[in-house]
Amino acid sequence: MAAMVAPENTPVWVDTARCKACDICVDACPAGVLSMRQEPTSTLGAMITVVAPDSCIGCNECELVCPDFAIYVAEKKEFKFAKLTDTSKARQEAIVNNGYRIPVDYK
Amino acid sequence: MAFNYDQYLRLEKMPTLWCWGCGDGVILKSFIRAVDKLGISQDDMCVVSGIGCSGRFSSYVDFNTVHTTHGRTVAYATGIKLANPDKHVVCVAGDGDALAIGGNHTIHGCRRNIDITMIVIQNFIYGLTNSQTSPTTPQGMWTVTQKAGNIDPTFDGCELAIAAGASFVGRENVTAPKKLEKLFVQALEHKGFAYVEALSNCHINLGRKNKMNSAMANLDWIDSITVSKRKYDAMTEEEQLNLLPTGILKQDTVVREYCDMYQDIIDVHQGKRGKITQDDFVKKI
Repeated sequence: MAAMVAPENTPVWVDTARCKACDICVDACPAGVLSMRQEPTSTLGAMITVVAPDSCIGCNECELVCPDFAIYVAEKKEFKFAKLTDTSKARQEAIVNNGYRIPVDYK
Repeated sequence: MAFNYDQYLRLEKMPTLWCWGCGDGVILKSFIRAVDKLGISQDDMCVVSGIGCSGRFSSYVDFNTVHTTHGRTVAYATGIKLANPDKHVVCVAGDGDALAIGGNHTIHGCRRNIDITMIVIQNFIYGLTNSQTSPTTPQGMWTVTQKAGNIDPTFDGCELAIAAGASFVGRENVTAPKKLEKLFVQALEHKGFAYVEALSNCHINLGRKNKMNSAMANLDWIDSITVSKRKYDAMTEEEQLNLLPTGILKQDTVVREYCDMYQDIIDVHQGKRGKITQDDFVKKI
């Protein structure tokens, strides 16, 4: 139950105890909000991280495609989401092309 | 506050045992949203599952659940439904469970048109036992039992269900979770046997042998072989050749449901009506 309640002022949040690092949400996000990071304790050596919460457009795609009940998006009436911009689209492309991890020197 | 899946889950079983990126989780989520949308009480729902990766489905949901023998989901569900005609009974089976080992039960469930919703999770392979050829594995794909390529012709579960007499037949794809949810809602609302085929990915066992070793690659392949029913019907036969239509493929609300007919038998024995004759049926043979 606790995982469902949004932390203060957060558009998208994750339950890292359930995430298996399948990359599907990173692939589905249109705005480059999500990325994988290195996590030695995880089975696949990676873990989901929210890199740009300010760019979240609230489309809910990541929550719908997550098979492990690990990612949640705030409701539209609870949070004012951003618009989809060229900057966020470019970041998404960079993350996907870099094997679902944000490039280390990305601005 | 996001959608509260946890009220329908057995939290002590989380996280799921399925592989990373497995479509079964998306189907489970869509099913939970559909149940929530219809406002069905957790006590009025029974989920029956068989053996296979899909068999785990009943362990995770906090409804009345039965984890049954291989392929016999429909047989158990028929008994449960006849004893509790006012409850919702949902079968969850994999493609091997529903079409190979339990093929016989599936066709007779369809024939009787009993009010069961059957969700067939179709991932084109026997995933739990590590990549053996299933009746739905596409020809030419590589598996551990067909190392030189599969030569067995494939099986279309939806065509089988239509031919066997199921009154609701639908197919959807895990890459469209909203559509999947809508199809589950329609199937649960339908009175009669509802056969819903959910195409799912198994990038671990099917994908790694067939150049689709990530969930995204496998999902893209599933996307490439599915097309909506409306577009499918507008195609020529040549274009339809390697595509599967999605959406509602058959819906018949006229044909009588089995529990209703069974009530007639009960009434005969209670002396409320005379014996059943051929005149009671429109289509007799």
